[in-house]
Amino acid sequence: MLEITNLHARVEEKEILKGLNLSIRPGEVHAIMGPNGAGKSTLSNVIAGREGYEVTDGTIAFEGRDLLALDPEIRACEGIFLGFQYPVEIPGVSNMTLLKAAINARRKHAGETEIPPNDFLAWVRDRAKLVKIDPKMLSRGVNEGFSGGEKKRNEILQMLVLQPRLMILDETDSGLDIDALKIVSDGINALRGPERATVLVTHYQRLLDYVQPDFVHVLARGRIVRSGGPELAKELEEKGYGWLEAA
Amino acid sequence: MSDLATYSAQFERFANALTAAERAPRSVQFSRFLASGFPDKHVEDWRYSDLSALNEHNYEPDVAAADHLPEALLADADALVYVNGRLLGEPKHGQWHSDTSELPPPATGVDALNAAFASGGLRLRMDRGTVLDKPLQVLFVSRAEAQATMSHQRHLIELGDDAQAKVLLDFAGDGGERLATHFFDVRLGRNAKLTLYRVQNEAAGGTLVTRIDTRLSRDAKFEAVTIDLGGGFTRHDLDVSLAESGAETTIAGLYAQAKGSHIDNHVRAVHAAPHCTSRMNYRGLVDEKTKAVFNGKVVVQPGAQKTDSEQRIANLLLSRKAEVNAKPDLEIYADDVKCAHGATVGQLDEIALAYLRSRGIDKDTARAMLLRAFALQILDRIEWPALRARIEAALHLPAELSLDTDA
Repeated sequence: MLEITNLHARVEEKEILKGLNLSIRPGEVHAIMGPNGAGKSTLSNVIAGREGYEVTDGTIAFEGRDLLALDPEIRACEGIFLGFQYPVEIPGVSNMTLLKAAINARRKHAGETEIPPNDFLAWVRDRAKLVKIDPKMLSRGVNEGFSGGEKKRNEILQMLVLQPRLMILDETDSGLDIDALKIVSDGINALRGPERATVLVTHYQRLLDYVQPDFVHVLARGRIVRSGGPELAKELEEKGYGWLEAA
Repeated sequence: MSDLATYSAQFERFANALTAAERAPRSVQFSRFLASGFPDKHVEDWRYSDLSALNEHNYEPDVAAADHLPEALLADADALVYVNGRLLGEPKHGQWHSDTSELPPPATGVDALNAAFASGGLRLRMDRGTVLDKPLQVLFVSRAEAQATMSHQRHLIELGDDAQAKVLLDFAGDGGERLATHFFDVRLGRNAKLTLYRVQNEAAGGTLVTRIDTRLSRDAKFEAVTIDLGGGFTRHDLDVSLAESGAETTIAGLYAQAKGSHIDNHVRAVHAAPHCTSRMNYRGLVDEKTKAVFNGKVVVQPGAQKTDSEQRIANLLLSRKAEVNAKPDLEIYADDVKCAHGATVGQLDEIALAYLRSRGIDKDTARAMLLRAFALQILDRIEWPALRARIEAALHLPAELSLDTDA
């Protein structure tokens, strides 16, 4: 599904990713862990196509296509979703407006007609229940006045509404209390399936207790320095990252 | 031929058709115009809107008869329509139009020109305690003619004590080379309430000068929303005098103009009495190849204690080459007052734009969503759904959606 080969990327002249390789197949859940500044967020943003990240070498193929040639909105329409570490507040654009515009952009891209208003409302309302977001909050501006936990739950709501095929969650677990973590994890698990893949970018092992990964990778100094199964996460929790960074 | 000669020739022709009694006061006004000409950049208040190029122009008086009704009328309002300064058809209430007008003393050359040539216009006089049952849309259409033309109108809105009205001053034009000046004398009695919308959507080519002078008596309320779209050369003055205690005014405005346009708004609230409240909130969407000027002024005169005033100006530059001259101004001659003001100039939030794109929304749509969000504070002030819909359509912004939680 996603094939990253020898990826080099920089932000403002500073090289962050230095030859990263990663292969993800449908149905898999990958956890990418690593110390601060290792390049975890850069990797997420490069996949999503965020401006300001310059790929200097290497390739990313998504279902056989050259992902790097696509604008971020096309990547999203093709089924890539990035859950942000710091979701932005957009007063004046309601959550509902964003969701509807996003759904219809995707449908247009797929050559489909716009979603009928009643179907849209029902679809959103059901998913809002899953992440325990009061539908009244959705009439407000995007994330406007939301708490940290509500913002993360809202990211998951958007994901549930848009049904992406590749979900990248950038530190979605950071700053969550245990109840919110549970809701977020339930949301991620609800979308697990043989056609979809998930990348969990996280600093802590905690999230992985709720969302079982198939693979765990350690990202350090701009490349993946170790890969393993779920047990690797436990090992990292005990030993920290120092022993890998030194290696 | 010296400056203003064409105006002298036009005035001579115009004045010949008047009686001596009618002619005398207008000749005084015209002499004032000749003495000062059009305001130019040396007049501080006109620094960015130099009209001196008009000194050499030749505008014929309008001759074309107004014929067909424009389609821009709102269904839920009563209407009064002027095409190139002439009344079209018969208004529902004959008394809403007057062929004559009073001539208050002019402040600038362009005021004097207006007074010298003034034809009548809107005359809305409401008795004590009466309420206008429908909003009144006064449409001013500028239409191209074979030659450049000019029209000058004076208007009156007078609300008696406790009277209420909602009025739309609606300026539309097809871009013909015209000069139109309009002066509105607005007087509100005690506890009267006027909601005034001023919408300007002229095509490039015309010159429009408007002045609205408003005087509020005790406990009167004046709510104004001004919207500037379009592409002409426009200068608006809105002066609100809070003359007696307890008067309140809320003035909100949006300027979002087309390329090639020049739009200058001068808005002034004068606190002449204690215990009055003024709110001024203006927002501008400014693109390149336009000129946007905003000057907001609050004056607190001696003795106007317990004044409560606030003015906010925010501008969004849509291009690196866009330029705006926005100036908040405050003059305070009383010591027990609350006056807040602030002005900002910024650019589109790139992080928000990237966020919307990451959800699959294309760049142009995402941009339009953010522009609409910026304008929303002002659009929300338009409590007239048909008018709001028309303005949003003219802004080319996507419709907002709200979730019906009861469904």
